[in-house]
Amino acid sequence: MAAEAVVAAVDIGTSVEAIKASQMGMKALGAGIAVGLTGIGTGVAEMGIGSAAVGAVAEDKDMFGLALLFTVIPETIVIFGLVVALLLLFV
Amino acid sequence: MLKPKQMSRLLIAASRDQMAPVITELYRHNLFHIEEYVDQGQEGYEGFKIGTPLPGASEKSTDLIKIRAITSAISVRGDDIDSVKVCPQAELKSKIERQLPALERDVEDLTVRRSKLDTRLKDYEQKIAEITPFASIPADLDLYHGYKRFAVFAGYVPHEITLTVPSEMHFSKGKEKNFLVVIVPSEQRGEVERTLQEAGFQSVSIPDESGSPQSRIDHYSGQIAALSKEIAEINLKLEEVRQQHTEFLVACEEFLKSEVEQTEAPLRFATTKQTFVAEGWVPTDKVEDVSNSLVQATGGKIYVTVLPTDLEHDNVPVEYNNPSFAQPTQLLMDVYSRPKYTEIDPTLMVSIVFPIFFGLILGDVGYGLILLVMAFALRKFVKGEEGRMLLTVLRNASISSIFFGLVFSEFLGFAIPGLNPLIYSRHLMTAHGGHGPNIPELMVLSIWIGILQISAGRILGMVNHARQDHGEHRTKAVLANFGWLAVMWGILIAIWSIAVLPIMPNLTTLPTVAGINPGLIVGGVLVIAGVIFIARDSVLEVVEIPTIISHVLSYARIVAVGLSSVAIAMVVNFMAITMFIEPQLKSISIVGVVIILVGVMIFLLGHTLNLALGILGGGLHSIRLHYVEFFTKFYKGGGQKYNPFGMKRRFTED
Repeated sequence: MAAEAVVAAVDIGTSVEAIKASQMGMKALGAGIAVGLTGIGTGVAEMGIGSAAVGAVAEDKDMFGLALLFTVIPETIVIFGLVVALLLLFV
Repeated sequence: MLKPKQMSRLLIAASRDQMAPVITELYRHNLFHIEEYVDQGQEGYEGFKIGTPLPGASEKSTDLIKIRAITSAISVRGDDIDSVKVCPQAELKSKIERQLPALERDVEDLTVRRSKLDTRLKDYEQKIAEITPFASIPADLDLYHGYKRFAVFAGYVPHEITLTVPSEMHFSKGKEKNFLVVIVPSEQRGEVERTLQEAGFQSVSIPDESGSPQSRIDHYSGQIAALSKEIAEINLKLEEVRQQHTEFLVACEEFLKSEVEQTEAPLRFATTKQTFVAEGWVPTDKVEDVSNSLVQATGGKIYVTVLPTDLEHDNVPVEYNNPSFAQPTQLLMDVYSRPKYTEIDPTLMVSIVFPIFFGLILGDVGYGLILLVMAFALRKFVKGEEGRMLLTVLRNASISSIFFGLVFSEFLGFAIPGLNPLIYSRHLMTAHGGHGPNIPELMVLSIWIGILQISAGRILGMVNHARQDHGEHRTKAVLANFGWLAVMWGILIAIWSIAVLPIMPNLTTLPTVAGINPGLIVGGVLVIAGVIFIARDSVLEVVEIPTIISHVLSYARIVAVGLSSVAIAMVVNFMAITMFIEPQLKSISIVGVVIILVGVMIFLLGHTLNLALGILGGGLHSIRLHYVEFFTKFYKGGGQKYNPFGMKRRFTED
């Protein structure tokens, strides 16, 4: 893939800097997709849990701790996305 | 520390005529957690009945209800008031007799009048709402009713319609809805109704009024204004009552509440015709105090003894036993669940680790200082005990935030000049004197924190199971926890012998045994042994093994959330200063000043938003790491709250 890119780049006479820039752009795109999609995933997962949790807390306030716990469990997904994005951009 | 306060089960028995002094004495101590007597024929309680309230109970509860009606009408709450004057009870008693009935009458009068006026006001508002659509049609309201041979339709339609029958119609086009009035002969009523229905007609009721619509609206508006004025006057009067009597009312409420609780206490005791028995829990170190003073108060006519505690069946109430700096964190524990009596109480650990996590996430001197000022300033406005505890937690967190701000060299997203980050840098943009972030190192550091905290959780789990369980199950449960530890460390050792990671041991260079890295062998053995231990306790748990990885990786949020707040701060700074303020400072003009002001606004708004996000992110994520990743390893909770018989007096004294 990289070799193809180099060939293509040489073909149209672009410099090495341009290739680097486009690689950086790809990385940025990847990072964006990682955070965005995992964010949607977390949102979808928390949607159901959150509404059920609010219902439970409305019935019994002592449920709050447990409800919060259940609600934030899918948050890990978006954190994974964020971690992947940071690794893509900075490592 | 790490254990709830030790409790002893106290049994008090005396003759019935000693009941009043015993109750008073117990109430004064505020230490005796009453184990309520339930009339279910327990062993040793044959022939006992639930007691009856002391004399005067019903009068006192009536008075209390009166006081509560007044305080809720003028919205006075004891929690919101600092106790300035302490009122002796004897003085209160006479005051209640003299002042309370009159005060009650006044307040009730005013509130009844207010609610009547409120109803009328709502009535008029309703009428105005009914008339308003007709205001667009130039006809008096009398013209809409009183016909024998005509039918009147009024309502909203989506678009103009045409009728085939002879009719008088007025259509007025509105912004959202079009209003239509039609008058047709009664014979054609059915036909018109059908046409209207097909056109999506929504009918409105025709007001029973006369005169032009606008004049009616004006009339009712005038009425409403008059009523509002009257209501405001009443509110003013209630406010006067509030100002005058607040102290008296809160003191009254406290006094009567204590009286009612005392007179109704026998309902929780077991009694016979001549005697009564009360069982309850007292902190072990206070048993002597309580029993001595009971003996004194009754002149020795009482039997007090400590019963043996049966840890398996008794529901022992739980009171925290923490050093003072860890006490505010009890609030965070209660949100989750109070520890059981036999369980390790992790409050102390949370009180130390929570601020550290918070600081690692929101490590910024500027934000830390703002939060610190906030924590102290809000103290003036927050009166309740829980609110105060939360503020203390915030204070500790902000101090930690300042500390880690110095470590990371950050001030509102800028690098602190002349101070290099002490461990690893989180500066994302090098243009502002940063050094570029050490993401891999930070990431591994947070993973290490996770590994250590989860290991600690598993070890505590072993201790808890060893304490609470019995027989074969105890061994299995302890070993299962060990198994979880073994799997986690086995995976770690295997990873170390495959890959080289920053700030983690490097085992890839070990001399190979039979072509395989010994680290891999050790890791594999640990994982297999661990899985066997886990499966022996519960086979289903094996399914959960992947959570080891997800829980450890979850700690990466410490860096990830922290970096995102650094990123927002730096973007705000870049926008405000580099894009708006700096270019204008070179040559100042009037437009330039405006742009500079915009830049300042962006700076303030951006940092306010980031700070709010930072509190939410730092607080929620730190506490979540405790609740989800740490507590699930060892902590069950569900202990009963220690709720002693008595109260902390704030406004009254004996």
